Amino acid sequence: MNVVSETPRNLVPRLILAGVGLLFGGGLGYLVGRLIKSGALDASRFGWSDSLATLIAASLVVIGLIIGLASFSRKAVGRMIDSSGTHVATPAQASFYMQQAIVIFLAGVLMAAPVVTAASFEVIPMVVASIVMLVILAIFLVQTVYNLVVWRRSDELLRRVTSETGAVCFWVLQGLLFLWAAAEKLELAPKLTAWDIMTVLMGTYLVVASIMSARRGLS
Amino acid sequence: MKNRLKVLRAERDWSQADLADRLDVSRQTVNAIETGKYDPSLPLAFKIGRLFEQPIETIFDDEAA
Repeated sequence: MNVVSETPRNLVPRLILAGVGLLFGGGLGYLVGRLIKSGALDASRFGWSDSLATLIAASLVVIGLIIGLASFSRKAVGRMIDSSGTHVATPAQASFYMQQAIVIFLAGVLMAAPVVTAASFEVIPMVVASIVMLVILAIFLVQTVYNLVVWRRSDELLRRVTSETGAVCFWVLQGLLFLWAAAEKLELAPKLTAWDIMTVLMGTYLVVASIMSARRGLS
Repeated sequence: MKNRLKVLRAERDWSQADLADRLDVSRQTVNAIETGKYDPSLPLAFKIGRLFEQPIETIFDDEAA
């Protein structure tokens, strides 16, 4: 008996995206592995938050690159907007996706910069630390501008999801932060660094954002 | 909130993307409204009403009322 199976149309773009993601992620992982093996990066001193930050940063960089490259094709953006149709994105829609890609990519670079710098030096020279901090500030400013542009160009659903994500993150994290701070004060929990807290915040934000987006049918 | 957006759209043979362009929102917003995952703001609801030339109450069903 012959069985002919046809992959549902809206599954094809997802499979392509998954494949591209594997390619980019694998490439980035290989590059980092080579750097560690050559001794250019010392991951042995990585704390848990450094590892988590690196994972988040790599994910953001890869996702930003994929969306950014796809945004050069209005057809590809059209498939991202409507996977079941043959919609071709307008130039405005394509540029909107490009701006979102820039925000995501730069967020990854910002998270990676301090960790990679710390892993590259036994003791970070003051000059290097200062230069890296200035670069981080500059990228942060650029990313903030693009964030504002994306917010202004977003429609009400995207703004609602962003607002809900912020609200949920605030309620969850401020509660957790208080409880940890109280436990730390009572010497029941180890001290956390600002980087530890920032990494947890970023990771939580990404998880909550995914859940809120899925709730509204955005993913 | 239940609504007749999909029916009204189908009567005019518009895709979700077509309707989204006319309302100046994303296709995902139209889909979210049609599937009840998102209730539009008042300005958008009025815009929908004007587009289909019908009162909001005939398009959206406030089940709580």
